[in-house]
Amino acid sequence: MITPGSKYFLGLTGLGLVSAVLYCFLVNPSDLGAYALFGLFISAALIAGFSIFTSDGDTDSVAEAVEANTETTAPSFWPIVFALGGALTLLGIATNEIVFVLGLAVLVGGAVEWVIDDWAEKASADTEFNSFIRHRAIGALDYPGIAAVVLGVVAFLFSRIMLTVSKDEASIIFIIVSALIFVTGFLLAAKPALRGKSTAIISVVGALVLAVAGVTSALNGERKELVKYAKEDPYSISHRECGKEAGEHYDHEANGSVSLRSGVIATIFVEGGKIRAQEVGLKRDVQAITIPRSNSTTILFRNLDSEEYRLVANLGEAKVGTTDVMEKVGTCTQLTGKNEEQALTVTIPKPSNPEAPYTLTVPGATGEIKVVVP
Amino acid sequence: MDTVSPVKSLTRRISTTVAGVAGAVVLAGCAQNAPQDTWKPKGDNAQMIYSLDKLVFPIAGIVGVLVSALAGYIFVKFRDKGQAIPAQSHGKPIVEIVLTIVPALILTVVGVFTFRTIMDLAETQDTEMIINVTGQQWWWEYDYPAQADQGITQPIITSGQLVIPEDTNVLLRETSRDVIHSFWIPALNGKKDAVPGRIHLLRMQADQPGIYAGQCTEFCGLSHANMRMEAIALSKEDFAKWVANQQKPYTAPAEGTLAKEGEGVFINQCARCHQVNGIKDANGKAIISAPDENVYSGAAPNLTTLMTRNTFAGAMFDMVNQKCRADVWDAKSEDFGAKYLAGVTEDCLNEKNLRAWLRNAPAMKPMYADPAKLEKTNGLYRGMPNLGLTEDDIDKLVAYLLTLK
Repeated sequence: MITPGSKYFLGLTGLGLVSAVLYCFLVNPSDLGAYALFGLFISAALIAGFSIFTSDGDTDSVAEAVEANTETTAPSFWPIVFALGGALTLLGIATNEIVFVLGLAVLVGGAVEWVIDDWAEKASADTEFNSFIRHRAIGALDYPGIAAVVLGVVAFLFSRIMLTVSKDEASIIFIIVSALIFVTGFLLAAKPALRGKSTAIISVVGALVLAVAGVTSALNGERKELVKYAKEDPYSISHRECGKEAGEHYDHEANGSVSLRSGVIATIFVEGGKIRAQEVGLKRDVQAITIPRSNSTTILFRNLDSEEYRLVANLGEAKVGTTDVMEKVGTCTQLTGKNEEQALTVTIPKPSNPEAPYTLTVPGATGEIKVVVP
Repeated sequence: MDTVSPVKSLTRRISTTVAGVAGAVVLAGCAQNAPQDTWKPKGDNAQMIYSLDKLVFPIAGIVGVLVSALAGYIFVKFRDKGQAIPAQSHGKPIVEIVLTIVPALILTVVGVFTFRTIMDLAETQDTEMIINVTGQQWWWEYDYPAQADQGITQPIITSGQLVIPEDTNVLLRETSRDVIHSFWIPALNGKKDAVPGRIHLLRMQADQPGIYAGQCTEFCGLSHANMRMEAIALSKEDFAKWVANQQKPYTAPAEGTLAKEGEGVFINQCARCHQVNGIKDANGKAIISAPDENVYSGAAPNLTTLMTRNTFAGAMFDMVNQKCRADVWDAKSEDFGAKYLAGVTEDCLNEKNLRAWLRNAPAMKPMYADPAKLEKTNGLYRGMPNLGLTEDDIDKLVAYLLTLK
């Protein structure tokens, strides 16, 4: 039977459905608006269903009336959490995987807590006992869960601040915050009288400061060099596009490529129009560098001149496919400006021929560096 | 007649077992022949670590014993005997402050000295020589870039035994071709991981000539326990001789000899993976091995001067017999160089080991070398497979390999 109270929601359900279908046809089926309207349709249908099922909350018998008027232990906020989880899950489907997972976690957490709440409320007529058994049933999970969420939020907000301020400022902030925590903890331990209101005030002020600073930092974004490093693709450094500048594999942030520095075996310099090399570990120039066979090895190229240069690795010849036609094998960096660096990663499976070793050259600069693969 | 209760009997057994194990552990520390003893430094870098240990271990030991004794005393003294729960109190600021400050001070002292040692061990400004060290399952390759001031005019490549000049600051540039390994010669320095795609630096210096044993210390697969290494320190004069020998051109065996036939077997069976610098085929064309086509790591030991090293297969087996081995290991510092540089002679060759290896390598050392089980590596071996050589081939190969020095 359609109850009076359900009519409003049934109307809303119909409106939501029609709007969603029209939106899909007229605007975009995969747009956020379509998800929102479908969400409205489902929510309204759900509430309409509940409304019909419960006859708008009207009681049919005295027993039902007594039960309906039985005082509950306390207003529960878990239904709100559950609803928030549902909204986040829907939003996550349309926007971001992280939001979806977060929504799902909130949804499940809210549902479990709600069910336990409901069960505990009806366990007996004694609200105190009900509260006790609720605590026994899920209290052991409540506190760690809430603590994990609070810690996660604090860590996230703090990390936003640290990623926004400069390295020096970050160090100072870290020292100050650590010292404040230590001093506060010490004072609270040494002077129990300070606990209570003082602790609450300190916590609230600290949380507010952290929240404001964290949100502001997040809005400002990460500091410049971090944005640059985050965009770096370490694999883009090795490429085979000699001559084609800014191609598909061009390393736009070569100077920021710190991730491969730890794998560098030698650095090639161009200075005064001449090429020279330094092996990592040796503080003198060498005429030949040695790199292990069959192993990915990175050579750093640093241009100290004002003219643009590229580093070219001449790696002998190889057969073209299964034919007997030989072609030169080589790779190079992109053109590199003054005081800029690029990395060249090579893997050479065959030893070099002592009579015709592999070489590193820089077109436009004099000299060459032999590459020996033992 | 007295009977022993089951509880007492069990307690006695447990006590006896614990005492036995503890005694064995203590006695193991007294081993005379312990070449990987971390407390017998033979170089500056290991000495730095040892000096730090001398400070930290007594402190840690005293703290450990005190805490254990105190805990034991409390467990026994205040164990539940049915007594009433004593009055509970909370907080004793003096005790808490002392128990915070004292450990903090201890850790500060330990931290300062540890930090200084770490910084000293990371120093590379005084490097006199560099060597590339590459780990792969389950052996170490050492290649020496040309360094004229060390007499190395052409790069040298060897494996198993790292040869360095005495009293020279050598910088190892470690990397790996497959998985993470860890290089550790306890008598000369601490351990350092060899990680694919990265180059890690490790200082190495030996006070005097000798052999210093080591072991891969990062679990790296089936034969991790068999991935050993030895550092050989030679006097500067002897090192120059070793370098000269490593750089000398290849000499093919004389025609009509068994070794010459062995060279043919080597070219047919072994040269696919193992390089011998200078070896040529019947047409006079240099033979370049292609381990990258056969081995997962892309490398196999270079055998150009195999018989100058007295171990093989990742330093797992002795290339020389017991008598000759003892002769080199026990040699006095001043005699060591000459004995080591003598290499593997026919009299000293441990033929049993070498033949067994050539006959069926995977039976000697666990490796992923079963041709039927190489799907994961796309048909590439991890280690040396069984080549199915005949005894006749093995005779020839042994004769040929003996010439590689």
